[in-house]
Formats: sequence, C-alpha cells, structure tokens
Amino acid sequence: MYIFFLYIDPGSGSYLIQAIVAAVLGIAFFFKNIAMAVRHFFYRFFRKKSKMP
Amino acid sequence: MPVDFTPQPSSYRDPAGFLFHRDGILYRQVNRSFQADYDELISSGLYDHLVEQHLLIGHEEISENLTGSADWYRTLRPDHIPFISYPYEWCFDMLKDAALVTLQAASDALDKGMMLKDATAYNLQWHRGHLLFLDTLSFERYDEHQPWIAYRQFCEQLLAPLALMHYLQWPLSSLFLAYPEGLPLPLVKKMLPLRSRFNLHVYLHLHLHGGLAAREAKTEAAPSPFSSKKMRDLLRSLRTAVSSFELNRRSGVWSGYYEEAAQRDDYLEQKLALVDRWSAGLNAAAATDLGANEGRFSELLAAQGKFVVSADFDHYSVNRLYGKIKKEGTNNIHPIVLDLAHPSPALGANLEERASFIERTPKGLVLALALVHHLAIGNNLPFDRIVQLFRALGPALIVEFIPKSDEKIVAMLKHKKDIYNNYTQDNFLEAFGRSYRIMAQEPVGASGRTLYLMESHG
Repeated sequence: MYIFFLYIDPGSGSYLIQAIVAAVLGIAFFFKNIAMAVRHFFYRFFRKKSKMP
Repeated sequence: MPVDFTPQPSSYRDPAGFLFHRDGILYRQVNRSFQADYDELISSGLYDHLVEQHLLIGHEEISENLTGSADWYRTLRPDHIPFISYPYEWCFDMLKDAALVTLQAASDALDKGMMLKDATAYNLQWHRGHLLFLDTLSFERYDEHQPWIAYRQFCEQLLAPLALMHYLQWPLSSLFLAYPEGLPLPLVKKMLPLRSRFNLHVYLHLHLHGGLAAREAKTEAAPSPFSSKKMRDLLRSLRTAVSSFELNRRSGVWSGYYEEAAQRDDYLEQKLALVDRWSAGLNAAAATDLGANEGRFSELLAAQGKFVVSADFDHYSVNRLYGKIKKEGTNNIHPIVLDLAHPSPALGANLEERASFIERTPKGLVLALALVHHLAIGNNLPFDRIVQLFRALGPALIVEFIPKSDEKIVAMLKHKKDIYNNYTQDNFLEAFGRSYRIMAQEPVGASGRTLYLMESHG
C-alpha cells in the first residue's frame, strides 16, 4: 500500500482530503457559531443585569 | 559580458525566481513567469500590509538585471539577516509561532485576493524580534476553485511536529533532521496517542489525513470546487489546533540553573562583571553564547549592542529565553537548541542547501562559560577537539575552566568511571595555548574556577 507514496508529488496539496475536511468543518463551525452567538447573547444579558445597582 | 553572481544553493525549487549573491550581498530575482503574481502582491497592498505587521521580510527593489538572465523581471534586495537557523534548532514556541505566522499570512493574503503556495517551516526566520516569512515569491493570485496547495506541507512540516510535542510532552525538533521534507502523516498517526483523536481538528488534519494519504495517490483527480468560505474554515481550524498546543513542562535539565548558581556566594555577579568588562573592550559585532542556558550572558552581550546567537542543549531553557526576548522586544538575540557534541550538520542537495551550524555562525566572540567540563567529561571530547570547535566559531573567546575538585564535576563522576586523567588546568592551557593567546585571566571569587579571555593566533 505504501508503495503509492513514491508516486505522490510532495508538492501536492491533498485535495481530496481537503474537500472532506472542509465539509466536516462547515458543519462543525456552523454549530459552533450558533453556540457562540447564544453564549454571547446570555453573556450580555447577565452582564447588564449584574451592573444594575 | 559574463555576469558574476553565485546562486544560493537552497533556492532551486521554485521557477518563480531564485536567490543569489553578488559582491557579498544577497538578492532575489523575480522571473518573468511570476510577473503577474508579483505585481499583484505589490499593487494589492498585501506586501505593504505584511511588512508592516512584521509577517514578511521587507526588500528594496533594484531596477537592474544583476544576473543577465533572459527570464529577469525584477531584482529584490531583502533585508539582511545576520544568522539563519533551521526548524531542527527551534524551540517549541518558535515553531508554534512559525505555524501561526504562516496561517496569518495565508489569511491576510486571502483578504487581498491572494494565497500562499508554500507552507514550509524553512520559509520562516527569526529576525529582529519577529518570526518573518522570507519567501516573497510564495504569494500567488488566489484561484477560488482550488483547495490550498500547501495544505499537506503545512500538516507535515508544522502541524504534525507541534501536535507530537504537545501530546507526548517531549521536545522533538530533531525530527526535522530525520524528515527534512516533513513528517510522514501515516507515521504521525501511529505516534499520536488515542486521546488526540478526540480533538476534531487534530483528528481531521492528522488522523484522517494520515489514513487517507496513501489512498489518495490512486484517486487524486481534478479537484472539486473549493469556495473561499471553505478555505477560511480550513485556516481557522488549523489555527485553533495550533493555538491549543503547548509544551509546558516547566523545567528541563538545566532550567533553574541561575537560581542555583546565584546561591553560590557572589559567583554569578562576579562572572557577569568580568564578562561585561572583557567583552565591552572587544570590537566584535557578533557573539555566540554556547551553553547559554536561559541567556543571562547573552542578554548582557546584547545590551552592549552585539548580535548574539544563543545556543543551548536544553530545549526548555531555550524556550524560556525565546519567550522572554519576545516579551521584552529584544531584537538582537537569536536563540537556538543545539547539542555541541553533535552540532547541526550540512544538509540537503549536494550538502549545500542548509549550511552546518559552524558555517552559518557570525564569527566574533565565543562565550563558553561552565561548558568545557561538560564537553570534556560529559561527552569525552579531548581538549584539542574543543579548541577546534571554538576556534571555528570566532577569533575571540571567553572560556571558564572548572577544576576536577569542583563539586559539580565530583557529582558528574559519581556514577561514571574517572578516565579523565588529562583533565587538568595545565593540559587545558596547553591545548588552548596552541591556538589562542591568553589576554587576561581571573579567578571567579572563591569558587576555584577561572575565567580566561583569549584571542586566536590569527
């Protein structure tokens, strides 16, 4: 199996893998951004409250 | 008329241009084939932005064709760098910064419609307090449909060694000597512990990548469309992974040396004062501090305005020094990890691509404090071999001799057979006297240790 390494151009950028990785990351960051927005919303909400006298 | 220039042996991979020396000055030629990309780098404002942010080395454009080449488009004269070090000599934080600078440069390039086509660790260099991208010709116009051509290289040369050091908590810069083109990812996958699979980014870029690397050779076809959103996600993911890595064992073999040394009466103060006085009187512009530990003496020499290469065997000490000079903005110390019994060799095509440590060092003052006994007794190096090493690194020398009766040597010989009958002050002076003139000598307090200032016979 490893014999195939001999034919990989060391300068090649692992294109197929990047397509898979990017697809997974697209989903992961989509949810992460939502989670961050929610956290940010509550953070603001609580901070305002705690500032009240 | 033949034009007299010497091509830089390491600069042969990229048809976009090459480095060469002429009259002792390093230049970079931009070839006609790279004209459009180079023009875009300048006109998009990316060059100015990167130089301003200390991410890319600055250059002066020369309008003259200095090589006489028909491919000539531009000649650049990059800022002079007095000493080049290689990733196998870098501490963890330096390599981590190299990875972060690469990702930042890629991300900034993307903002200006360009992209990085290389992500090799050898494209970066520590210079005047910053890790800089050296290769001005690594930026090309961004093609919206192409994935990142340097992705594999980034994973093999930057992400993989950092991940291994992080998960194994072991300094592994020397892997660059075994794998100059980067670590094979299937090997990295085997070396990483199971828990590294639970980090999404490490799993994707190293485990999955390593697992599919062999299969891809068969199936690599025309790339599918790869939007700039995907590219940004990729860069963000790599940055998240790199930022999470740490090598945080607080002390190595030699860390804490000064605290311990300082307790020995006023040994350290006296030594600092002597070295300060002697070195200030020398007109050397550069110094090499061997066995520099966390760099107290390097800092002293740097404060005198000297450019200092600060080398130590202990990765953690170098890492601490790197963190300190970065924080304080010291711009004339270059810290490297180096085993003096096995200094970095010459490497690469025809052994000309990467010069050996001895060839690269700026020749000036050599500082070897509390070091000779480690080489002579720790590594069994005869005095004349040590002289040969010091002499090759510069004409002036400040060296410390520690007698065999010293508690440190007694401790060293506790678990070792004493075969070091030649380790005497007389033999030391005889061996060094063959290459050097002794200009000054003084005992360091009541320690029994002696400091010598020497100058080579020429």
